[in-house]
Amino acid sequence: MNIFQPGDGMELPLGNKSGLPNSVLIAEDDPIFRRILESWLQKWNFQVTAVENGLDAWKALQQENAPRLAILDWMMPGLDGIELCRKIRNQAQGAYKYLLLLTARGSKEDVVAGLEAGADDYLTKPFDANELRARVRAGKRILELQGELVKAHNELQFEAAHDHLTGLWNRGAIMDLLHRENQRSTRIGEPLGVIMADLDHFKQINDSYGHQTGDAVLREVAQRLLESVRNYDYVGRYGGEEFLTVLTACTASNLAITAERMRVYVSEKPVETGTGPIPVTISIGLAAHAGGPDLAREEELVRSADTALYTAKANGGNRVEHSPENLSTDPVPSGALR
Amino acid sequence: MNPMVFGGVQCSRSTSSDLQPASCANCSGQAIWEKAEALKRLGGDEDLLRELCQIFLEESPRHLQKLREAIADADAQATMRAAHNLKGELGYLGAAGATQAAQELEDMGRQQTLSRAAEVFIFLERELASLHIALRNSDGASV
Repeated sequence: MNIFQPGDGMELPLGNKSGLPNSVLIAEDDPIFRRILESWLQKWNFQVTAVENGLDAWKALQQENAPRLAILDWMMPGLDGIELCRKIRNQAQGAYKYLLLLTARGSKEDVVAGLEAGADDYLTKPFDANELRARVRAGKRILELQGELVKAHNELQFEAAHDHLTGLWNRGAIMDLLHRENQRSTRIGEPLGVIMADLDHFKQINDSYGHQTGDAVLREVAQRLLESVRNYDYVGRYGGEEFLTVLTACTASNLAITAERMRVYVSEKPVETGTGPIPVTISIGLAAHAGGPDLAREEELVRSADTALYTAKANGGNRVEHSPENLSTDPVPSGALR
Repeated sequence: MNPMVFGGVQCSRSTSSDLQPASCANCSGQAIWEKAEALKRLGGDEDLLRELCQIFLEESPRHLQKLREAIADADAQATMRAAHNLKGELGYLGAAGATQAAQELEDMGRQQTLSRAAEVFIFLERELASLHIALRNSDGASV
């Protein structure tokens, strides 16, 4: 399992996924020009979709993985190039489309009208291969730049929501996710579970082996926690050596089973570090909400799990305790689960 | 057949640099179509040119028919559109005389002055007929 958990609405929907980088749409009613464009672009290794009118072009651009580079003839039956440009630009969502308008008119007014309608560039007929190639290259360059921007934006968003050391959700993000899932489970009446886990005697590890080793232990424990849950559960670093896991559609008994699995999986093998193997254990506090009509406050859930964690620590650590407060109508197995 | 018309396109089997424009009776010194020029624009792709000639032979009668009807109906807008379409294709093939005639008709349509349109149309029709023969006889199309 990958420790990074992108997705979950924390990314922009654009990215490199949408639109094959080397695909192009041609909308041209004249069969001769359509064939010329198709032939040249194929020769330059483009994947070409060719249509005869504006309406078909519009439909083709609505498809998933639609080309992001479009060559549109100005004069077409139905929806002409200018109208098509406007329609595409009025569509707010989706990846940016680079629009190259094809015209047999050369007047300044026409060019201005085309650019104002949303075309990125224009090409006057009859054009030759070199000119087309240069303009298409310019378009590709813009799309690539835009792709890099979106990628940088996504990376920044990822960094803003993730803990740098462990790659888990950071405190702000895991609390946002808890809020979102809490609202959702209340609305649809699904149970929700919260697991607060804390590394036992972490200060001693840091003091004895140094912070670098301490960091390596945190990274490995984070990885083990992730591997103990379902891939749609959320694991976050809540504080220094404290981890908060949010489990959706999880009954109190399943929550207890998962927590016990986490405890065993973390302590089963010592963590291999540069300074040798280090045995680690965690203490866990649980809180569950049965879902439906009463909304439990997420702060309350976290506080309950924290209180249970404190009890687990007080009872010697390396154990699971559930919240004493009744946040759930689903019976939680009583007592320590160790 | 008038050998003058085919002076240029007959030698299409030779290299393109040898090609001389064919001249016709209607426009002194002007070629029916500049095969060398068209080929150059297509980056020397003979196969593509042959394919385009084929498309033109199939498509242009339809455009011409539309233009004829538009002029007969005194429909300036339709005249402009049909002439515009023809102009684009003719221009690409380097058919200078026919392109010029189509351009004139397009302008007449745009300016809504179709008084001389029938006259220009007859000229265009004749140029197109010559072009069809030239294309069929050249290597540019095999019919």
